[in-house]
Amino acid sequence: MLSRTAEYLYWISRYMERAETTARLLDVGYRMSLFPNPSGYNNEWESVLSAAGAIEGYKNKYDTIEQRNVEDYLFFDESNPSSVYNCILNARNNALVVRTSFTPESWLAINKTYQEILNLKEKKFIKSDLPDLTEWTIEQVNLFRGSLSSLLRNDGYNFLFLGLFIERADNSARLLDVKYFVLLPKPQYVGGNIDNMQWSILLRSLSSFRAFRWAYNGNITATKIADFLVLNNNCPRSLSFCIQNIVKHLTNLRCSPEKVGRIYNNLKDLNTKIQEEKIETIVEYGLHQFVTQFIRKISSVDNEIHKEFFN
Amino acid sequence: MYQSESVIRNHYNNINDWLDQMTSKVILEKNAEAESHFRNIGITFSTNNETARERIIPFDLIPRIFTYTEWLRLERGVIQRAKALNAFLADIYNQGEIIKANIIPKEIIYKKKSFEPSMFGFSPPRDIYSPIIGIDLVRTGPNEYFVLEDNCRTPSGVSYMLENREIMMRMFPDLFHNNRVTPIDDYPTRLLQTLMSLAPIKCENPEPVCVLLTPGPLNSAYYEHSFLSDQMGIEMVESTDLFVEGKYLYMKTVDGPKRVDVVYRRIDDDFLDPLCFNPQSVIGIPGIMDVYRTGGVNICSAPGAGIADDKAIYIYVPEMIKFYLGEQPILDNVETWNCEKEQELKYVLDNINELVVKEVDGSGGYGMLIGPKSSKSSIDEFKTKLSTNPKGYIAQPLLDLSFSPTLIKNQVEGRRVDLRPFCLIGEQAQLSSGGLTRVAMKEGSFVVNSSQGGGVKDTWVLAE
Repeated sequence: MLSRTAEYLYWISRYMERAETTARLLDVGYRMSLFPNPSGYNNEWESVLSAAGAIEGYKNKYDTIEQRNVEDYLFFDESNPSSVYNCILNARNNALVVRTSFTPESWLAINKTYQEILNLKEKKFIKSDLPDLTEWTIEQVNLFRGSLSSLLRNDGYNFLFLGLFIERADNSARLLDVKYFVLLPKPQYVGGNIDNMQWSILLRSLSSFRAFRWAYNGNITATKIADFLVLNNNCPRSLSFCIQNIVKHLTNLRCSPEKVGRIYNNLKDLNTKIQEEKIETIVEYGLHQFVTQFIRKISSVDNEIHKEFFN
Repeated sequence: MYQSESVIRNHYNNINDWLDQMTSKVILEKNAEAESHFRNIGITFSTNNETARERIIPFDLIPRIFTYTEWLRLERGVIQRAKALNAFLADIYNQGEIIKANIIPKEIIYKKKSFEPSMFGFSPPRDIYSPIIGIDLVRTGPNEYFVLEDNCRTPSGVSYMLENREIMMRMFPDLFHNNRVTPIDDYPTRLLQTLMSLAPIKCENPEPVCVLLTPGPLNSAYYEHSFLSDQMGIEMVESTDLFVEGKYLYMKTVDGPKRVDVVYRRIDDDFLDPLCFNPQSVIGIPGIMDVYRTGGVNICSAPGAGIADDKAIYIYVPEMIKFYLGEQPILDNVETWNCEKEQELKYVLDNINELVVKEVDGSGGYGMLIGPKSSKSSIDEFKTKLSTNPKGYIAQPLLDLSFSPTLIKNQVEGRRVDLRPFCLIGEQAQLSSGGLTRVAMKEGSFVVNSSQGGGVKDTWVLAE
């Protein structure tokens, strides 16, 4: 497989995953905007923007944080590299180059999504459309992921999933970080009612609200949620699940065992640690510190993948 | 389709019945279905005046049909021509017999930009310079075909030929139950066989590694590049994916370097090798020409193959056929005046109202004048151009291109068409059983180029 092909496949699924994260974040913001604004807290749209890593870009463009502008910035804006529009555009441009390396269905899924978002963008949207847009995005991403199931299980497949789980690990960790650190700086709030509401929004943004209910009994507590989203191997968006899958798709690569070996060596400590760790220890150590380290590690793995395979 | 006024040619009877049965509602639906299919698979193109959205070529639902015997003659004629063009290239890059025989003046060849001096004295595998040739044909009457143009570099359009058939079979399966249409879907396999049969001398691999070299996603034929490499199961590479080391060409893969034997290039000569051609070029593979000349890789088509489809060389193709093959040309050229010659220029200037004037290096329907359809001012403009740069132009009579029934606003109307079948020459010479039919969608128009609003049709060759 061409190095460039591997790189493009890797980035296609990163972009598609990111499109979903951004859309889900918008949904969280929308849901919050329907609740009375809890005094003493940051504007929910601001936290949505920081979770999406788009706060700086947004502030360069707009003076005030308003729902309509946030929606436009995160969904359609061409100047925001993580907008759903740009993610789909980039995924599609990459797919155009490597369409021969996956199934016609995968190409169709991406290209149809692209054609439709062009139409959506032309018509723009009215306020009540936001849930439709989110739903549409999630549907499109699922269509793409579903199409991957008929792929040959070769290296291309593994690069697609490496990209998916690197992106997801990063997104999940950032969401955790934003919610824990930006929204709840004051210790007395931790464990309060408002805190629970924030946490349940976090669950929703990771499409895990119902799953959490099935996995844990009783009250929603911060520790349980942290356990679910950091350590639970059954939760498809938890950090440990992502790491496990990164390891799996990395070691499944049939090309260059020595390159795989080098990346794996860098990754295995984190993997062991996350499989054996107790959530209480992490909370005591500081979730924020843990998550920050995690994000740094994922980014170094991403760099290594680029260096070893795509150059 | 019509023999004369309202008499339908036999082989179109089935199609006529089929058309009669279709309501305008169905036609509308099918048109929309075809358009959305083409958009979804991404078979789009860009033109010189770029707009934000990619365009799709208008697709006409009514197929163009050739009988078996009609096609047989075209097949023989096109293969004959393709062989002669390759023989011509082999000759002028080696002994130059045709020049010694005073059939073609040497300055016409050696002064052309498309003549590649670095190819002199080198023979590519099997002496094939141009393994894929697209010949543009027009029909002007019963069994009367003319060659409008040869395309020896990297003719495009074959993906439309294949996709047009796919969409027709998908939308109208019954049509194919009721008509014996020769299949064309083995074209990519034949193309791959052709490329593999042209492996370079130093290739020891029984299954040579072929790649398709594309300029990248901004190229207007990019869809075709990815479509063909997909269908052939070979890598589509850009020049940055390739590098030269120790007299061989390699592509960069996740496993490390992999040797490449045959490059089906879809980029121009100028962008192949910055060491050899255009030093300003940022694309290209430094050293590939050296590997090529030492038999480490084959480049299809050969650098310098473009001289064979030059509009000034075109005039001599019938002579070439006689000279190299000792045969009479099966397909005729269109009468052509070479404005470089004083006598002929004078004729062109005197009769410009009746003629089509084309730039020697032009393509895509740009930079041409259709005398009978042009205003006085544009004719005057061309007269000036001709007088100042006569060797940049040729002129031809305006041919009465045949009409083919075409759906215009749900009505069947006649529109002018041409045809580009694709000829493959490797171990054997063969012609696609069909081709790309282009249709001028505007009433009375002679210009079928897609960049000028032309459309396409499925092209049927009926089985014996």
